[in-house]
Amino acid sequence: MDKIKLRQICFIFAVMIPLTKTIVYPATLVYQTRNDLILAALGNFLIEGIVLGLILFLASRTTCTFFDLLQNTFGKIGAKIVYAIFALFFALSAVLPMMEQKNFVIQELYENVPSVISFAPFFGLCFFACTKGFKSIGRVADISMPIFAFSFTAILLLAIPHADFTALLPFGATGAQNIFNGCLHSFNWYTDCLYMLFFLGHFQYEKGAAGKIIGSYTIGALAVLLFLAIFYGIYSDIAVLQHNTIAQIPKYTTANTSLGRIDLLFIFALTLVMIFTYCIPVQMCVHCIRKVFDDCSPILPSAIINLLLLVLTIFFNYSFVEIQSLYTQKLWILFAVFGYGIPLLSLLLRRNKNTPQTEDKHE
Amino acid sequence: MNKYWTRIFIAIAIFLLLLFFSNDFGLIDIQKTAVIAAIGIDSAEQENLLDVTIQIAVPDQGGNGKASNLTIRNAKSVNEAITELNRKTGWYPSLVHCKILLLGKKITENNVFDVLNFFLRSEFIDDSCLIAVCETRAEDALHATSPIGELTALAITKVLSSEAQKTGAVSVMNLRDFAKGYYAANTSSYLPIVSVKQEAQSESGSPNNGSSQSAFLPCSIGLNPNNADTYSLVDSEPVPCGNFWSFWNKLFPLKRNPLPICAPCSQQADAASQKGSQNTPNSDIFEASKTMLFYQGKQAAILETDETLAFNLADTSTDYAYGMVDVIQDGKPVTYCLKMKISKKEQKLKVSGNSAILNFHIRANAQVADSDSAQGVIDIAQTARVPEHVLHAAEEKFKKELDAVMQKCADCNSDIFGIILKLYRFYPSRFNDLQENLLQNVKTSYDIQFDTLR
Repeated sequence: MDKIKLRQICFIFAVMIPLTKTIVYPATLVYQTRNDLILAALGNFLIEGIVLGLILFLASRTTCTFFDLLQNTFGKIGAKIVYAIFALFFALSAVLPMMEQKNFVIQELYENVPSVISFAPFFGLCFFACTKGFKSIGRVADISMPIFAFSFTAILLLAIPHADFTALLPFGATGAQNIFNGCLHSFNWYTDCLYMLFFLGHFQYEKGAAGKIIGSYTIGALAVLLFLAIFYGIYSDIAVLQHNTIAQIPKYTTANTSLGRIDLLFIFALTLVMIFTYCIPVQMCVHCIRKVFDDCSPILPSAIINLLLLVLTIFFNYSFVEIQSLYTQKLWILFAVFGYGIPLLSLLLRRNKNTPQTEDKHE
Repeated sequence: MNKYWTRIFIAIAIFLLLLFFSNDFGLIDIQKTAVIAAIGIDSAEQENLLDVTIQIAVPDQGGNGKASNLTIRNAKSVNEAITELNRKTGWYPSLVHCKILLLGKKITENNVFDVLNFFLRSEFIDDSCLIAVCETRAEDALHATSPIGELTALAITKVLSSEAQKTGAVSVMNLRDFAKGYYAANTSSYLPIVSVKQEAQSESGSPNNGSSQSAFLPCSIGLNPNNADTYSLVDSEPVPCGNFWSFWNKLFPLKRNPLPICAPCSQQADAASQKGSQNTPNSDIFEASKTMLFYQGKQAAILETDETLAFNLADTSTDYAYGMVDVIQDGKPVTYCLKMKISKKEQKLKVSGNSAILNFHIRANAQVADSDSAQGVIDIAQTARVPEHVLHAAEEKFKKELDAVMQKCADCNSDIFGIILKLYRFYPSRFNDLQENLLQNVKTSYDIQFDTLR
């Protein structure tokens, strides 16, 4: 069985997931909530954190995988249908982040505008990652931890002196409605708790595991909240103009004037972590497809899904704003259902029926 | 998947990552790229049109940069001017290295964000680039002869550096902070005023004496008398580049719009370039000791040199400055030059009843740097110690200058101290009541103490 370690799950939530919220998300949030972006983000983290906690509660009660739970309740065909739908959901949820990352790389790391196909190598790497399963996600998390810890800290330290945190005052001035809308329209960035549902049965639940994972999630959430606070402290009323936020906030450091953009070293390092983070939903998608087709070889589904995503990325090359609007303003309900609704309903799935388990399940 | 395929995949992944991070080994062809170092924007003679001067850095083999200035006249927008640059010269304009934006004084009579919004929209210019107003035209400032080599933009950025800000001599501003001020609730900001001191003119006594001034004044496209291969490039009215050559140019005007190859259009400018960073007698000197206040994007008032220093000491990141203090000592007027180190600065807005009070809390250490009267050897030895009456005079002068700044702010509604923002952030419930005429109604209190080093 495809195993992942508890430590690696902790690292995913603490160091990989926060990066997905450092490109376009801050500016999108500011558009709705202005200086109350922290409150809206806090709301999102609380919702996701509660769902994550409930999934961990489920993990403490069963050693079954999510597929097994579905199979216990709906039978094998039913489980396959649910997994097929989740495969589509993961593919869908991967599109916007990939376009975000593509634009980020093109705008920040390249001096001139490269061709669309410059981004194609990402899909080669993603294809490779998809063929390796959960184990590769865990190993990447291990590698990512020191890179993230060092680089993210360095970027925050470079940015903090230029932030005026009084710009965040007064709290709640934009009104509850705007904060609530900001929260709703950010759901597409807060469905990472879903990964935990698919890790069920793929890691050994031990005493205190829930606390460790929730603790890691909290560290990641605090890192993002601090990042958002610094971002708004630096840009305040023009924050909405600043896409590619992670590359924007550290550039004012005075060291840059004599040494050049030293912050780019850290941004490069974080981009590397980001690449692997954006592979996770695609890996999840391939995992679901494999389950639907009775644990088939990962190569064909990986190739198909990556090719499909490459085509979509090229096709929507000039439609980022439209895609972003679609995801944030229209599809939030879809993300709410899949990200929060189904994980909550999974608590109701039958856990006690004996199902054929793979031999190494309880290793 | 067996190990063989795994290794192949890893090799491919590494190769693809290399492509990903290297722009597929794409290079920028420097021969086809105009590396724009500075942009100057002036109002054109025709209403609602712009003259945009672009200073292009041209690296040479020796590693030194030369500058070419190109002015696009009567453009409807900055974007049109930059497109025109590409169309006329074939050079692809690269704004990534643009470090300074200069605005002509006339353009500040209207909302400067009519033109600056282009730079906020553009992803290819960094919003950390400096921005300043020129005392006359931005075009003139960019055509001045730099005292530190060919790039005038470089000389101006040095005047507006963060080090200059720390000494309080200049109120440095970048595009981000200027835009923040404009889009904030108080719609106020400020910019340093760059003036060009025509040193050559003052020395020779006449701007047209020889070609000493020709590097500063816009000159026609003409052959350089020293170097027939180089052109000066400004498509303005012909102005002498040396009397003989101007006469020659009038008789035999050259083809317009050649490639922008070089900046110097005078012997002296060439000499300046050969001497590298030496400050030649013909170099123009830049100064930015005054500050222009803005309200709703338009110029509102000007802070003089002393007022700029007081504002910097009270509000910006200035922490180390020199200031002159006049006192009467032994019945005679004496001027002390004090070196001041600001150890603490804070502005607090308090709302009491229906009035707002702004309190300046400033602590500084001072020592005598110089005075205009001879002193005893003991006094010189104890230069770190400042007499009490001098400290008191310094405090009074500081208060007086700050009062003058506050008065100017109130007169023109320019809230450079962010009083309206403070009211909104710390007293949101009183904002609607007090925001009207806040700058006129706010009371100021000063808690300023200068101390001497003991």
